[in-house]
Amino acid sequence: MHGRIKLKTTEEQAEQKQKERLKKLHFYDTTRSACFAKRKAGILDEEGLILSGQLLAANPDFATLWNFRREIFLHLKEEKTPEELQTLFEKELSFLETCLRVNPKSYGTWHHRGWVLDHSPSPDWKVELELCSKFLQFDERNFHCWDYRRLVVQRAEVSPQEELEFTHKLIGTNFSNYSSWHYRSTLLPLVYPDTECRVGRADEEALLTEYELVQNALFTDPNDQSAWFYYRWLLGRADREETVSCLYISREGQRLIVSFSHPVNVLLPKDELILFVDGLPLRVTWKSPHPQLKRSAIWICELPPNTINAACSEHNFKVHWQDGRIQRECILYKGRSESWCRDSATDQQLFRCDLSVEKTTVLQSELNSCTQLQELEPDNKWCALTIILLMRALDPLGYEKEMLQCFQTLKATDPMRTAYFDDLLSKFIIENSILKMEYAESRVVDLSKKNLTNLCHLDQMQLVTHMNLTSNRLKSLPIHLSMMQCLEVLEASDNEIECLEGLVQLPRLQEISLQNNRISKICDLRPLASCPSLILLNLKGNPITEVPDFQSELSELLPSLKDLIV
Amino acid sequence: MGTQIKDVVMKADAPSTLLLDKHADYIAAYGSKKDDYEYTLSEYLRMSGIYWGLTVMDLMGQLSRMSKDEIIEFIKSCQHDCGGISASIGHDPHLLYTLSAVQILSLYDSLSVIDTDKVVEYVKSLQQEDGSFAGDKWGEIDTRFSFCAAATLALLGKLDAINIDKAVEFVLSCMNFDGGFGCRPGSESHAGQIYCCTGFLSITNQLHHVNADLLGWWLCERQLPSGGLNGRPEKLPDVCYSWWVLASLKIIKRIHWIDKNKLRSFILACQDEETGGFADRPGDMVDPFHTLFGIAGLSLLGDEHIKPVNPVFCMPEEVLQRMNVHPEILN
Repeated sequence: MHGRIKLKTTEEQAEQKQKERLKKLHFYDTTRSACFAKRKAGILDEEGLILSGQLLAANPDFATLWNFRREIFLHLKEEKTPEELQTLFEKELSFLETCLRVNPKSYGTWHHRGWVLDHSPSPDWKVELELCSKFLQFDERNFHCWDYRRLVVQRAEVSPQEELEFTHKLIGTNFSNYSSWHYRSTLLPLVYPDTECRVGRADEEALLTEYELVQNALFTDPNDQSAWFYYRWLLGRADREETVSCLYISREGQRLIVSFSHPVNVLLPKDELILFVDGLPLRVTWKSPHPQLKRSAIWICELPPNTINAACSEHNFKVHWQDGRIQRECILYKGRSESWCRDSATDQQLFRCDLSVEKTTVLQSELNSCTQLQELEPDNKWCALTIILLMRALDPLGYEKEMLQCFQTLKATDPMRTAYFDDLLSKFIIENSILKMEYAESRVVDLSKKNLTNLCHLDQMQLVTHMNLTSNRLKSLPIHLSMMQCLEVLEASDNEIECLEGLVQLPRLQEISLQNNRISKICDLRPLASCPSLILLNLKGNPITEVPDFQSELSELLPSLKDLIV
Repeated sequence: MGTQIKDVVMKADAPSTLLLDKHADYIAAYGSKKDDYEYTLSEYLRMSGIYWGLTVMDLMGQLSRMSKDEIIEFIKSCQHDCGGISASIGHDPHLLYTLSAVQILSLYDSLSVIDTDKVVEYVKSLQQEDGSFAGDKWGEIDTRFSFCAAATLALLGKLDAINIDKAVEFVLSCMNFDGGFGCRPGSESHAGQIYCCTGFLSITNQLHHVNADLLGWWLCERQLPSGGLNGRPEKLPDVCYSWWVLASLKIIKRIHWIDKNKLRSFILACQDEETGGFADRPGDMVDPFHTLFGIAGLSLLGDEHIKPVNPVFCMPEEVLQRMNVHPEILN
């Protein structure tokens, strides 16, 4: 029951209403029984159409009655002449139109209409297209009608180009039409396919024209979210191609780590990963960094003893993935303790948008118009968010300060979504830190005092040895942290950390500072037992230090720990 | 020109405390008015109606007040030769009501009273070549039915009876520019459909295909100044969308992106203080459907007077634990 307002009624009114209801109930009961009886007896005639029609007109969700009608039609198809049939089908279509006027949002009615057309001797799909346009005039957001329209378009072979023009017309009347923007997102890549054949993306020139249309909408009604959602999609980027993004070998650890662009499960036959050492295949066991990560962007294998020979001038490691279509190779030279070969985030412009470098002037002018709009509408959150995205598409590091200011505006104007903005800002700050670290060719990442609420992109930090997360608002060290297989020192003091589930099987982790967090139970520290190199642990200012016998239990859990600071 | 933002005004005297006893009385009484016009007219969805009523009673710890034997007999008489189950006696079988029946029998730990092998056969027979599912033999295709199929089979422990890879492929082909999902490829995103598709991907362990940040943003933007959530941009808030959006956010681990206190106030304001039950919006007529989704929503928001609800199956967590069914939650 949707949108039925509860009204106070007098006793007299209630009595009158009750009488009417009894009458209606009686009619419903007898008509339904008549329909069911006919059907049971296998009588599939025109009277069945009349009876079921009387009920469906008021109650179009009675699915079984639509089925009954379809059975009647299939039966009459055998009996009637083509002319008679045509008349029957036409009558059905006009009955259906009446039903749709009363209840334009019934799944059953729209589905039945499609069925009738598909079984009609001479369906007129053009008329159907007009019907859709008419119903979309009554309600431009009726998704049942939009879906029916897509069926009609397919049957009538209407071109995507024509449909694109149709949405243009609707958007021209009312920019606030999410359904039309949505439709454009599916049509644009069909009419203007991406030159690099990326699925679901449109050609650059078409994107640029589309920016203009959206800008018009945004300036006309800056508070309408539909166009902003669409704009964010336009500014987005195609999915990255699946690839092996890094190969890392540790001589001392006798292990090899493979990174992927996407989380995968190499234990499945279709994603099988094969290692070659010095040209020969080597059977190894792959494992993900955390038992809960069934799919992971990182896979690890221990190398069998004597795989690496200290006297050998070089060893060649190579992985084949997806039947060898994707390969990566890395050489470990004599005397080197580790080696890697990887794609860099800066080269790949991992955190930017789809447009080519030549077109960034267009993005710059988009940014300028949004900044103008923001001057007129300083409290518009959509505008502030889009400015952030444009700045990130253009130059994530150059605009860092402005981005932080925009986030302040966002949180002030839309406090209901503070947590979303906090997580988004955390993500952007981490992206920037990764970029800075790569430019500096460093393996140290400083993320202290950044107001972080969330950790992400940890698969991009698998070579990092030192990470500083001090003074943030983190509640946990998530399981993805286990991807940081080179981590030696972790500083995470002054957060709100309750659980350490990500600190699992990190072979090189030696020092952890967790001062002033919310660790309260000895079992929360259990993951640390799987980190063999751990020698220093700072737990000062955590509730757990108040627990009786805590130190003795801890030394049982972590026998090799040298320094415990409480 | 554009459209003004649609929302409701929250009145100061709207209910602000949870009226559990009234809701239990409302549901217990609902099924007893069998001659009522409204009740009779809803026979085409009776099986789902019973599922809504029983689940909300179970979440409130009041399942024992419902007539178990009568309901089980009813379900038995709704199973057809093909294995499918209908909404009511004399109606045709459909995936929607097959799932509802299996959910009810799961609550009662009584799956053995029906021929479950035949249910599996029925679900299997409705899978199409492209991996999609028809709701019944008349061929309506919808991602809702993909969810019904996967959920039914998961509760029966027979998920491997269908072609899962193909089924996943179809659901993914319904993913949109906003990260959401629609009824069929090309259809607009809709919170109810997003619930079905994220639920489906959770049951089949394929949640990694979801763009959780993008979808989570779209979902948290469903919250309106009143605190209620709508199902699509520029639409009115509604208690049932509060459930669908909230459950989807829970599945993709982004539930903290909405303002929980404001949503709680909105849901509480949709209670009817006189009759018990929840309406779609404050001041509207109540019904069992919105009563379930109101209570289930409050459970996801952490209300301790209600049993924890599973966001994928909309059933008490304890029931799924007992059945050893553990749908994936994004980590």
